[in-house]
Amino acid sequence: MKIRMIIILFFLFFVVTAKGQDYVQSQFDYANNIFGSQHYFDAITEYKRLLFFDLTKAFIYEANFKIGECYKAGGKFDDAIEYFSISELNARNDDEFFESKTQIIRTNILRRTTDRALQLCDELEKDERFSSRTDDINYWRGWSYIFADEWKRAANSFAKINFNHELKKLAAQTDKEKVSVTFAKVISYILPGAGAIYTGNYLSALLSLSWNMLAGYWTVNSFVQDRVFDGFVVGELVWLRFYRGAIYNAEQFAINKNIEVANKSLKFLQNEYKGIKP
Amino acid sequence: MRLFFLIISICACSLSAQSDWAKWEAKQIPYEIPASHQQEYKIDSSDLGMTLISFAHNTYNFFVSDLDGDNCPFYPSCSSFFVLSVKETNIILGTLMFADRFTRDLNFFKGMNRYPIAANGKFIDPPSNYTMHIQKIKFD
Amino acid sequence: MANSLNKTSLLFNNFALIFIFMSASLFAQPDFFSAKYRLEFGNYLYAEKDYLRAFHEFRNVLKTIDNDTIRFRLANSLFKISRMSEAADNFKTLFFGSALSEEARLMFYQSAYFLNDHKWFRELTEQENYQTTKYKNEVERLKSITYFYDKISLPDTNILFKPFHDSVHTRLAKFYKQKKYPQYKSPTAAAVLSSVIPGAGKIYTGEIGDAVAAFLSTAALAYLAVSNFNAEHKFRGWLFTGLTAVFYGGNIYGSAAAAQIYNARIRFNFENEVKLYFEERNYFLPRIDF
Repeated sequence: MKIRMIIILFFLFFVVTAKGQDYVQSQFDYANNIFGSQHYFDAITEYKRLLFFDLTKAFIYEANFKIGECYKAGGKFDDAIEYFSISELNARNDDEFFESKTQIIRTNILRRTTDRALQLCDELEKDERFSSRTDDINYWRGWSYIFADEWKRAANSFAKINFNHELKKLAAQTDKEKVSVTFAKVISYILPGAGAIYTGNYLSALLSLSWNMLAGYWTVNSFVQDRVFDGFVVGELVWLRFYRGAIYNAEQFAINKNIEVANKSLKFLQNEYKGIKP
Repeated sequence: MRLFFLIISICACSLSAQSDWAKWEAKQIPYEIPASHQQEYKIDSSDLGMTLISFAHNTYNFFVSDLDGDNCPFYPSCSSFFVLSVKETNIILGTLMFADRFTRDLNFFKGMNRYPIAANGKFIDPPSNYTMHIQKIKFD
Repeated sequence: MANSLNKTSLLFNNFALIFIFMSASLFAQPDFFSAKYRLEFGNYLYAEKDYLRAFHEFRNVLKTIDNDTIRFRLANSLFKISRMSEAADNFKTLFFGSALSEEARLMFYQSAYFLNDHKWFRELTEQENYQTTKYKNEVERLKSITYFYDKISLPDTNILFKPFHDSVHTRLAKFYKQKKYPQYKSPTAAAVLSSVIPGAGKIYTGEIGDAVAAFLSTAALAYLAVSNFNAEHKFRGWLFTGLTAVFYGGNIYGSAAAAQIYNARIRFNFENEVKLYFEERNYFLPRIDF
């Protein structure tokens, strides 16, 4: 009789657990379906439902990871990082831990909190468990630098993976196309408008140079004709104004030119690059 | 230690539920760096007066303002303030509003005037605050 | 006897077996979308302050189960996510024949208050079929607060302060005074002052730096106009005369505008102060939840 009862209880336990798991699995599949159709808000509801009813916590890693992905897709990076962190804490093996951690890095890249992304890359690199995944770490480090607009460093990171890496070439090319803001300013100190020519703004350069020559002539002429007050007024209010303006403009032109160059590459990365992105 | 972080994270999650108080959709995160404001040369053709004023404003911007650096501490700049003032009122009131703004610009201690400050450090001073319509005055 | 016991035991065992199987199969097939489970999940979300999701769960539950607490929680979820109009409508459904009627009425008034239509809110408080006996005082307090935001004249302090505890009357009296006798500046006076002495109107509105700048710029332009006329430079003389007139007029206009900005700031600061004061104290309302 006892044996019979034990068999019944065992059977009962097995059925309950197995059937329960079936339903939890179904719920996970259902949530994944919604996730697949990009209805991320609703997908979060279903993952939360799964977490609530998954008494054995069989899906605690997957569900939290997916919630993190949903928030990330919705641009809610703080929430995404919170859920990726929970999934990281519930990782059952090194691969899951690494996946969560890289998702946190990727979210930080998109959030443009580059320092944090780099810090996490360094932490992963120091972790002996992931010594075989240095390429992955360097890949995300490269992306972190790209989002921080540091293309030379990005190129160096990608070069560590492969010297001919597609992104290494792109980052190096972008860095090469950029202009020097300091140089643009310095040459404008020497010749007003030179910085504008350096950055390709020829019309502005011509106008700037003209104003400076004209105002310079007025100023010098005033002093030559002993109209000292006029000389000071024109010198301060006109000449110096346009002289300072030429330096300021050179800096702004260089900054804008660099943004333009960076954006051309970023646009390519977002729309045409086939590799894995943050 | 792990448990501590888990508890902290869960607490943070319950606080973060606020971000889901309105339904949201997926959105593409732009990779591109937002470009800084570029001067646009636009002619306001709403009427003859505005066409002439905006033409003069563009000419001033092209030949003077764009070449002499970033001098105006206000947003909108004094010249834009004039155009907007005329558009919002008329040429006479707009000119008076501009003269008042120019005088306030001459004040060395204008930082003490409690102007709201924009992200770029400029004093926010829209013409709508000076149209003598109290309901149009904004402080933020 | 032993045989009989054995038989009974066997029968019991078989019955238990069938029972266990039935309950096992029932237990093993949880429909997470049944009303029971939705309610459990909804309550969890509600506790987690995930109100929009909780609202959706409660709304589905109410299709099969009619329960006042669920209705209240549904309405309160809407209230928490600032969907005040819908919250008010849902609290209304608990007005009659519900144990939560009084609380629902108070929450209805709270929702209506936050719609910021103060005149309409005051009219609502007069509606007999909406009134609450248990929370009459709380609703009266909200009504009193609305007077501080509106342009209408304030009622007598006895009526206005009555629903509040004595301990806050001093503060309310301060608000009352600020509202009834605001320290406004007259735009006309500012304009007249500046027309007499350029910049004087700005001093009146407290803008000393602007006043000095206005006085000096008008004076300098006037000086340049006079000196150019004296030097027989007629064109320059008229040019500076025109500029003096524009700056003089601009200062008069600007002084009037400064007075109006001053007044608007007083009103803005007052409303912020009142709002902050009552918000910090949750409008002297009890925190109701079920």
